[in-house]
Amino acid sequence: MNTILNDYADEVQAILARYPQDQKRSAVMPLIHLVQARDGYVTKQAMTEIAEIVGISVTDVASVVGFYTLYHEEKGGRYHLQVCTDLPCALRGADEFLAKLCENIGIKVGETTPDGVITIEEVTCLAGCHHAPMFQVQGDGAITYHENQSVDSALEIIAELRRKAAAQEAE
Amino acid sequence: MSKMVTLSIDGRSVTVPENTLVVDAAKMNGIDIPVFCYHPKMKPVGMCRMCLVEIGRPMIDRATNQPVLEDNGSPKIQFSPKLETSCTTPVSEGMVVLTRNDKVEAARKEIIEFILTSHPLDCPICDKGGECPLQNLTMRFGSKEGRFLFDEKMHLAKHVPLGELIWLDRERCIQCARCVRFQHDVVDDPVLDFHNRGRSLEIMTFSEPGFGSYFSGNTTDICPVGALTTADFRFGARPWEMKPAASLCAQCPVGCNLEYTVRREAKSGGATVIKRALPRQNESVNEIWICDKGRFGYHYTQDPARLGQPLVRRDGELVPVTFEEALKIIAEKAAHQPFQILAGGKLSTEDLAALRGLAQESGGKAWLHTYMSGGFTPHYGLSADANLGALGQGDAVLVAASDLHEEAPIWWLRVKQAAERGAALIVMNPRPTRLKKYARHVIRYAYGEESLAVAAMAEENLALAGEEIRAAAETLKSARNLVIFYGSEGLGLTGSKGLEQALADLLERGGFTGRENSGLIGVWHAPNLQAGFELGLPPAEGLADLPAGGVLYLAAADPAGDDPRQAAYFSGREFVIVQDLFLTESAKLADVVLPVLAYTEREGTFVSGERRLQRYYPALAARPGLKADFALTALIAKSLGYELEGRAASLALEKLAASQPAFEGLNYLKLAEVHEQWPQVGGSDLYYGGTSYANRQGLGKHLSRAAKPEPDAAPLREGIRDVPKNALRLVPHTRLYDAGSTFAPSRLLDQRRARRQLRIHPRSAEPLGLQQGSQALIELEGAPFTAEIVLDETIPGGTALYPRSLGVPMNAPFHAVVKPVFDKSAS
Ligand code: SF4
Ligand code: SF4
Ligand code: FES
Ligand code: FES
Repeated sequence: MNTILNDYADEVQAILARYPQDQKRSAVMPLIHLVQARDGYVTKQAMTEIAEIVGISVTDVASVVGFYTLYHEEKGGRYHLQVCTDLPCALRGADEFLAKLCENIGIKVGETTPDGVITIEEVTCLAGCHHAPMFQVQGDGAITYHENQSVDSALEIIAELRRKAAAQEAE
Repeated sequence: MSKMVTLSIDGRSVTVPENTLVVDAAKMNGIDIPVFCYHPKMKPVGMCRMCLVEIGRPMIDRATNQPVLEDNGSPKIQFSPKLETSCTTPVSEGMVVLTRNDKVEAARKEIIEFILTSHPLDCPICDKGGECPLQNLTMRFGSKEGRFLFDEKMHLAKHVPLGELIWLDRERCIQCARCVRFQHDVVDDPVLDFHNRGRSLEIMTFSEPGFGSYFSGNTTDICPVGALTTADFRFGARPWEMKPAASLCAQCPVGCNLEYTVRREAKSGGATVIKRALPRQNESVNEIWICDKGRFGYHYTQDPARLGQPLVRRDGELVPVTFEEALKIIAEKAAHQPFQILAGGKLSTEDLAALRGLAQESGGKAWLHTYMSGGFTPHYGLSADANLGALGQGDAVLVAASDLHEEAPIWWLRVKQAAERGAALIVMNPRPTRLKKYARHVIRYAYGEESLAVAAMAEENLALAGEEIRAAAETLKSARNLVIFYGSEGLGLTGSKGLEQALADLLERGGFTGRENSGLIGVWHAPNLQAGFELGLPPAEGLADLPAGGVLYLAAADPAGDDPRQAAYFSGREFVIVQDLFLTESAKLADVVLPVLAYTEREGTFVSGERRLQRYYPALAARPGLKADFALTALIAKSLGYELEGRAASLALEKLAASQPAFEGLNYLKLAEVHEQWPQVGGSDLYYGGTSYANRQGLGKHLSRAAKPEPDAAPLREGIRDVPKNALRLVPHTRLYDAGSTFAPSRLLDQRRARRQLRIHPRSAEPLGLQQGSQALIELEGAPFTAEIVLDETIPGGTALYPRSLGVPMNAPFHAVVKPVFDKSAS
C-alpha cells in the first residue's frame, strides 16, 4: 500500500497538478517535504512510495534526499538546528559559535540531545551570510530562520523549543 | 552528409563534421586530450575539468561583421581569457585549439592535484592499476607533492558492496558520474546515483537487489579509476600478468565480441585460467558493451565437473577408457549403421558441418536441437552491410513474441537506441515487456495467436484487424527498412514455425526482402543455432522426431536433461554416443560418452542471429587428450571409413564455403579483417574509452542471402486451443539468468537466478486456491513438478507463464491442472 497516497490523496494530486504530465519527477521535492513533515524524516519505505508516484527509481529519490541537508534519512531529534559554516559565515565566527554551542548543550555535531528534542547539524549556505552566525530550525513541518546569533541567544531559542516540545507532549 | 568545419589544433589544420566536440575532433586526428568525465558514448557534462584547452576564435569586427585581419592578412584570433573544456565545446570554423602549451599543462597539473586531494593512490593494490587513466595522468602531469594537508585526506569506506556483483571503493571515486550516466542514459536502469555532495559524495544504489541491472559490469569498464570492480575479478590478478585472447560470448545469439584475459597461477594448481571477460569493440554488434551474463557466464568452461576422459558402458556401468578404445568400440558397433544425430546450437559452425557430413555419409540425418524454427532466416535474414546501429528515422523495427531484455540484452539495447534515434518500434507480445516504453505501436494478442496477429498486419484487408494493428501496418507502408526480431515466448516448435512464416510473408509483401538493412532475426536460445539453419538442419524439439534404429549420436544436446520422458527414446537404439562437456542426463544413458574441448580451448566460428559469421580464438591451451567437436566427429567418421575435414577449423570452414552458397568466399582470414572504428577505445591513451578492448582480431562478415525456402503447407498454430476444464494453458518464457548447464556454474549469479515460478493473474489464481508465494503442483503427464506461484496482473487470464531452463520439463506450451501443494507438516 502506498501510505502517502493514502494519507494525502488531495495534497499529492495538488502537487502533481503543478507540473506537466510528462515531468512528474519535478514533484519529488514537495513530496519528500510532505512525508518529512509527517514522519520527521524520510524512510526507505517513503522513498519507494514517492518513486512509485512520480515514476522514477528509488535510487533517484534517495539521491535527491541525500543531496539536500534539508531532508533527513535518520530519525534525529524533534528539531534540527542547522548552523551554516560555509566560508562567509565562518569569516563571521560561525565555526567558533557552533563549537561553543555544542559544548554548552553537551552534544557533538550530528548528535541529538538525550531528551530527543534537539539535533545539531552543520550545513552549507542558507543565504543569510551577512547576518552570521545564523542557523535555521527545522521541525513540526516548518522552518524558522535565526540570524545574528550568539551562544546565549541560541540557548534561549533551544530552551523555548524544549518548552514547546513539552507542551505538545502534554497535550 | 553533415557540413564540414575546418579548424586548427596544435597548428594542424583539421576538417571534421560540424557539431563535433573539440575533444573528439582532436582524437580523430590523433591528438589525445585527457578526460575523465567525458565518454564518447555519452553526452558531455563538463564535470571534471580535465580536458581544459586553450581556444581562440576569429575576431569579428562588430561594426562591419567582417573578420578582423592581421597585418599579414590572416584572420586575427582572439583567445578566451580562460581555458575551456574541450568536451563541451563544439568546433567552429577557423577555431584555433592549443592542447599542449604551458598554460594547458599547468591547468592539468592543478586539476590532477585537485582530484588527488583525497584520492588514496593505492595503485599497488588497486585492480585498475596498470590500465588506469588517473594513474597514467598522474605519472604524466601530476606534481610530486600535493599542497593539500596529508592528514586531512578524507578516509572513506573501501569495500562497499553495491549488491553482490559490483563493489565500490569510495575513496577512489573521482565523482565523474560515468557510471551514473551509463545506468540512466545508456541502459535506462537508473539504479545508481549520487548521494550527498562535495567531499562526502558517494555512489549508491537503492535497488533490490543492489545495483539491479543486467548491464552493471560495463560500469567497471568505463569507471576511469578503480572505484568500481566486479566481485568476479577484484583482487584476482594484475592487468599486466594476463594475456588477452579474442573470443565471442556463447550465451545468446547476439554474438558479442569478447576478450578473455588469462593467466597461469598457483591458485589454480599451476593451470592457466580465464580471469575475466571484457567487451571487445564491434560497433556493428555490441559496440563496447556486454551484458552481465556474458561477463560472468564463462565459469562453466572451467568447471571441475567437466569430463576429461571417454566413458563406455560395460556391464551396465560407464567406465573410463582411452580415446583409442572408445573409437574402436564405435567402429565395431556403428559400422554400416545410419547415424541419427541431434546437434546443439552451442556447437561451432565447423562442428555442425562435420555432424551433417557424418550423417550424410552414413545414410542417416542430422537434426538441430531447438524449440525454435528458423529455416526461413537464411533467405529472409540480414546480409551484406546490415547494421542495427544504422537504424533510425524512417526505419521500422518489429519485435514479436520476445522479451528481448531477458533473451538477448544487447539486442534490447540496440533496439532501444534505434527507437531513440527515431526508428518506429512495434512490439507484439501478449504481456508488457521492457521495450514497451520505447514502442510506437504495441500489439497485444492471445498466446497461440501470434501468427494470426502478424497475418492481420500483412493482409491488405485490414478491416477486421484492431486499431493498433492497422496503425502499425500504416507505419510499415512508409518504412525504408524493417528489421524483425522474433523470440520464443509462448511458443514451441510448431508455433515458432507459424510465426516465422507469417513474418517472412510480412517482409515479402512489404517489399523488404533484399533491402540493405532489413530482415528477420531469430532470438535463438543458443549462440549458433543460426549456423544450423544455414546448413539446412531440420529442427527437432527432442528425440521423438528422429527415426528409430541405427546409431543415435548426440552432440551438445541433452534431451533427457530437458525432459526425463525423453529417456524412453534411448532404449531400442543399437548404440548411443553422447559428446559433451559434462556427464549430462543423456550422457548417463549412453553407450559411449566422449568429452570435448570447451569453446575457450579451441578455435571456431559462430553465426550470430544477424547472420554475421565471427571467429573465436583459443583463450587457453587445449586440455591434453581432448579434441574439438568437429575433430572428434571426423575421427569417428574416419574409423568408419568416411572422410571428413578434421585437421583444422579453418580448413573445415573453407570446405563448407566451397559447397554452401551463403558462405561463399568466406574464410578465416576474411573473418579476421578489421577496420578503424569510432570511438577509439582500448589504448592506454588519455582519451579514455574504458577497459573494452580494441578489435584487432576480426569484425566478422555477414553471410550472403540463401535461396528462398518453400513455405510449409501444414497448419502451423500451437495445437492446444481448447484447454480442458480445470486446466490452465502453461506457456514458456525465457529468463536471462537461468539454470542451464552452461550458465549454472556461475555461482556468483545464484542470488539473481530466476526461480521456477509460475506467473499467473490473480483472477486466474483465486478459483484454484493459489496464493502468492505458495507452491503449486503441476500435473504434467509423466513428469509432474512444483513451482512457486507469483501473482502478476500482466498475465492474460487462463494462462500461466513458466520459465525455461529452470527445471520445468517442457519448452513448448501445454495445458495442465495446477493445484496448491498443501504443506503436510502443517496439517
Ligand atoms: S564510481 Fe567510477 S565511474 Fe562512478 S562516479 Fe566514481 S569514478 Fe566515476
Ligand atoms: S547480449 Fe548475449 S551475446 Fe552479448 S554478452 Fe549478453 S549473453 Fe552474451
Ligand atoms: S555562507 Fe552561511 S548563510 Fe551563506
Ligand atoms: S570536463 Fe571535460 S572531460 Fe571532464
